[in-house]
Order: sequence, then structure tokens, then C-alpha cells
Amino acid sequence: MLLEVTGFSKHFGGLAAVSNVDLNVEEGEIRGIIGPNGSGKSTLFNLISGVYRPEPGGTMYFDGENVTNLPPHEIASRGISRTFQMLRIFSQMTVLENLLVGHQRHTRYGILSAIVGTPAVWAEERRMRAEMMDLLAFIGLADYATMPAGELSGGQRRLLALGRAMAMRPKLLMLDEPAAGLSPLNVDKLLETVLSLKERFGLTLIIIEHILKVVMDTCDLVTVLEHGEKIAEGTPAEIKDDHHVIEAYLGKEMKDADVRAFLRG
Amino acid sequence: MTAHGTDEAAPAATTGAKPVTATRHLLAWVAGIGVLSVLPWLAVNDYHRFLLDLILINVILAVGLNIVKGFAGQVTVGHIALMAIGAYTSAILATKFGFPFWLALPSAVLVTALAGAIVGIPSFRLEGAYLALATLGLAESVRIFISANDYLGASIGITDIPPPSLFGLRLDTHLSYYYVVMPLALAGVYFSFCILRSNTGRAFKALREDPLAAAAAGINVQKYKTLAFVLSAVYAGCAGSLAAHMTPGFIHPNSYMLAEMVTLLLMVILGGIGHIWGGIIGAIVVTIVYDLTRDYYNYQMLVFGMVIVLTVMYMPTGIGGIIDRYIVTRRFVALRKAKGDAA
Ligand SMILES: Nc1ncnc2c1ncn2[C@@H]1O[C@H](COP(=O)(O)OP(=O)(O)OP(=O)(O)O)[C@@H](O)[C@H]1O
Ligand SMILES: [Mg+2]
Repeated sequence: MLLEVTGFSKHFGGLAAVSNVDLNVEEGEIRGIIGPNGSGKSTLFNLISGVYRPEPGGTMYFDGENVTNLPPHEIASRGISRTFQMLRIFSQMTVLENLLVGHQRHTRYGILSAIVGTPAVWAEERRMRAEMMDLLAFIGLADYATMPAGELSGGQRRLLALGRAMAMRPKLLMLDEPAAGLSPLNVDKLLETVLSLKERFGLTLIIIEHILKVVMDTCDLVTVLEHGEKIAEGTPAEIKDDHHVIEAYLGKEMKDADVRAFLRG
Repeated sequence: MTAHGTDEAAPAATTGAKPVTATRHLLAWVAGIGVLSVLPWLAVNDYHRFLLDLILINVILAVGLNIVKGFAGQVTVGHIALMAIGAYTSAILATKFGFPFWLALPSAVLVTALAGAIVGIPSFRLEGAYLALATLGLAESVRIFISANDYLGASIGITDIPPPSLFGLRLDTHLSYYYVVMPLALAGVYFSFCILRSNTGRAFKALREDPLAAAAAGINVQKYKTLAFVLSAVYAGCAGSLAAHMTPGFIHPNSYMLAEMVTLLLMVILGGIGHIWGGIIGAIVVTIVYDLTRDYYNYQMLVFGMVIVLTVMYMPTGIGGIIDRYIVTRRFVALRKAKGDAA
């Protein structure tokens, strides 16, 4: 098991954003996380990535190591990388610099040699830049390398957020609604990019996504959250026929047949 | 040293052209050093040579402030106090303990760096205006402590701080002192270029824009905040020591008041906050303007304050940013036109 989360909870005031959620993800798996708005999906990501601390009782193991309560940069340095729903790209930095920041943990020079500017630093900088240019080419942003990231279009920003997360060379990549707001054509393109990145770098993926078709088509297993609780987990086929899921998504009033038709797209 | 400003934007795709760029950089530095070496001989009088020394000291100071404020985005008003700590440490070591300048300077830098780490502690919890207030509090208490402490000369200041000597030669003219200040300023600028173009510089910019995203990208935010404060303190300590040992070797607590901090902020903001050249351009322009308007001292702060506000509102990237935008934007407009707006 690559990621083992047990008993994660997080309250905001009286609201249980995530309550007692377990999440076990195998190496190489693609896991989908779905649930209605406000069901705690992003909060779960924030807990895993160390942005929030889980409440006492929660534990997290990654690659066999206990990483419960580590700060975000420590979690990142273990090989867990994520994107944000609101992207949070560094808009005043160039596209290439965004990736270089993500790649920082793989730099092989220290602060002192950086200050003096030794040839080894220049060589390492060249290596990093070349590698990140490769990655940019892979996600289709190479032409924009020196443009401030804030000037990219919405779709390009989504790609950049993905690229920055990939620049960390993670073992586990967590994507928070990577395709939100994209046109159907671009959703497919993005998905293709994600899958080819997975192939190329041997990633494990956790994807939060509202577009059910994406989840159903690509994920090995799907976890469903509602009101912060895990209400179902299984293969896409199992999830499609799960009553709880259907209710959670569309309320009790709708007929099951309508819902199934909807879920199948 | 003119080919540096827009280097950050040079396409990395053209990695093949690197040796050419390196040669250009080297040439630029050689030319820069050449010009700087003869500059005081072109000055018409000793006062102008004093002004040159002052400009270079302010360059050191502003480059340091730009690291912590411009790049790392930490709104500190404590920089001037760090300069005071550098100046007083150096002065006390030289006058009371007989330290030669060459030992007093590095000691002062070390002490100031430590003080910088302390000034940086509030930044772990505070941001923006609150951080400014906290650092202002620290800075003022340093100044008041000095003003009230007899050992530190209290409100009289410290006099007869010895100038540096080299092979028995007292460097007590503004001309000879220039050759102490200039290499240090040049080294400071060079180191800042190196730092800011490395991982460290990118980490600073990332934590300025979005500390949370930076942390999620693997950056230890507290470590880099502390580093930014310590680095800027190294510059402040060096500038302080240089100011103390410059003829007539006199320092006074009133040189480290809020007004001086405002002037310092103006340098960084006008020059281009977070621009690699920002502190340099700003220090040169502001020191000269400050000197030209000395007769209107009463209005200076009013005008400087207004210029800060106007700059922040209407040209937030300062002079450096305007130069950049002029060069860089034109390239992208062309690129955009050629590509159309994809996605
Ligand atoms: N920082 C916060 N402070 C207070 N409440 C929060 C905070 N973050 C999330 N919440 C609340 O916690 C609940 C879960 O939010 P979360 O963002 O995890 O949902 P989500 O499943 O990602 O929803 P969406 O699909 O809309 O992105 C919501 O009710 C939300 O309002
Ligand atoms: Mg969300």
C-alpha cells in the first residue's frame, strides 16, 4: 500500500468537513474521489498534503513511513504532490520558473555555492532548466516558458498547475478537479496528458473530479464522500449502481433509472 | 554589467547559446568594474566623492532590503535598525576594543546577521501591516536603547571611529575609502545576483506570492523567511560598518530613525521592488535626489512619502519593472500575435 490514511477528521467550527475517513491507495492505482459540493474532498487533500493537521486519532503512512502531522514541505519532499482547486500558480513568475520551484527538491547545490555562483551551480541550473523545458514541451507549454504565468489562459493555467506538480517528480500525484471549466475537447486532451504522464513517470494518482465521465472512464477505484463521510468505495461499475451514491448526488426524489442514465452520461 | 536585467527572461530553450551569454556577462562585469574604478577621479570635488561613497553604501543597504522585502515579500521596517546594529557593533569594537576595521567589519556583519534572524521571527506568524508594525517596534526599541545607553554614546553618538588602514596607510579620504566601499558593493551586488537567480531566489518569490502553494511545492517557508532576513541583515551590517568607519568616523542614533527607513523604502520601491536591479537603481536615484533637495529638508519626507504611495499605486514594479516591461512585453505581444490565443 503506497498511501494509508486512517481516521482523518477535520472540523471547521461545528461543521465536520471530513469525518473519520480512511483512504488506502495502492502503488500505480488511479483513484477517483467524487462527492457533491462541500462534501470534504478538497479538505481531505489538504489533510493529506499537510496543509491542515488531522484531528487526534488520524494517522497517515506513505511508502511505509509514518508521516502523520508532518508540515506540507516535508510531505512534499516524501514524494506527494498536489494541485489546488484554485490552482494557486505563481502568476508573477514565469511559466518555467513555476516548474523550477516545483523541481527545487531535486537540486544538487547548497545555498553557499549558490551565493558564490560556482560553475557547478550554473551546470545544475542548466540541467534543471533543460529538464523542465522537456516537461513543458510534454504538457504543451514550451512556447510560453518565459511568459509570466499570470498571462496564460485558463486552460493553460490548468496545464501549468499540473506541470508544477509534476516537476516535483512525485510518487503520488493528487489532482483537485483538474478539468474544471474546460471545454469537452480540452478535458479529453488534459486527461490524455495526465495518463501519459502516469505512464512515463510511473505515478500513482488520486483525482477529485466532478465530471463523472472522467472518473468512470479512467479510475480503477472510486471513493465517494458526502458530508465529510465516506459513503461508498468500489470500482466505477459498482459505484454507478450504488444507491447511496445516487441519492447523494441527486437527492431521493429522482428515480433510479433517470439517475443511472445520468451517471452513464 | 549592463546585460543582467532581463536575463531572467532569456529563453532557456536557447541553451545552446549559453557560452555566448557567459562571455557577454563577463565582459559586462569587466566593463562595469573598469568604469567604477575610475569614477572617483571624474568627480569634480571631494564632496562628490563623499556622495559616491554614500551612494555605494546605500546600494548595499537597498540591495539587502530588496532581498527580504522585494523578493521574499516580507514587509519589514526593521532594516534601518539592523544597519544601526552593524554600525554600533563595528564602532564599539574599533573604539573600545581596538579592533582594526578589517576585523570589526566581519564581526559587525556576523552580529547583525544574528539580529536579522531575530527580526525575522515575527514573520512566522505575522504578515503585511502587522509584520511592519512588529518590525517597527523592534527597530525603534533598538534606537531608543542606543539613545539611552551611555556605553553606546547615548544621544551624543560615537566619535573618532578609526578609518581602515592598509599597509600602514590610513584610508581616511573619501577617495581612498571609495576603494574599500566599491569592491564590497560590487561583491554584494554580484552575490545578490547569484542568490536571486538560484533556487533560493525562486523560493523567495514563491513564498512572496503564495506561501501555501510554495510549501506544497516542497519549500520550507520558515527556513527561507529566516534566510531572507539573515541575508538582508548581512548587507545592512556591512553597510552600517562602512558608514561608521567613513571619515569623519561619527555615528549618531538619529541616523537610524523612521525617516531614514522611509528613504530606504523609497529606494527599493522606486527602483523596482523584487527586481534584481531594483535596489541598485533606487539607491543611486534616491541618494542623488536626496542630496539635491537637502535645502528643503522639511518637505523631503512629505515628498518621499508621497512618491512611495504614487509609485505603489501607479507603477508598482518601479523603474526596473518599466524597463523590463518595455523589453519583455514587446516580445510576448509578437509571440501572442504569431500563436493566437490557444485553449
Ligand atoms: N478553511 C475553511 N474554513 C471554514 N470552512 C471550510 C474551510 N474549508 C472548507 N470548509 C467547509 O468544509 C466543507 C467541505 O469543503 P471542501 O472544500 O472540502 O468541499 P469539496 O468537496 O472540495 O467541495 P467542492 O466540490 O465544492 O470543491 C464545506 O462545507 C466548506 O464550506
Ligand atoms: Mg473542492
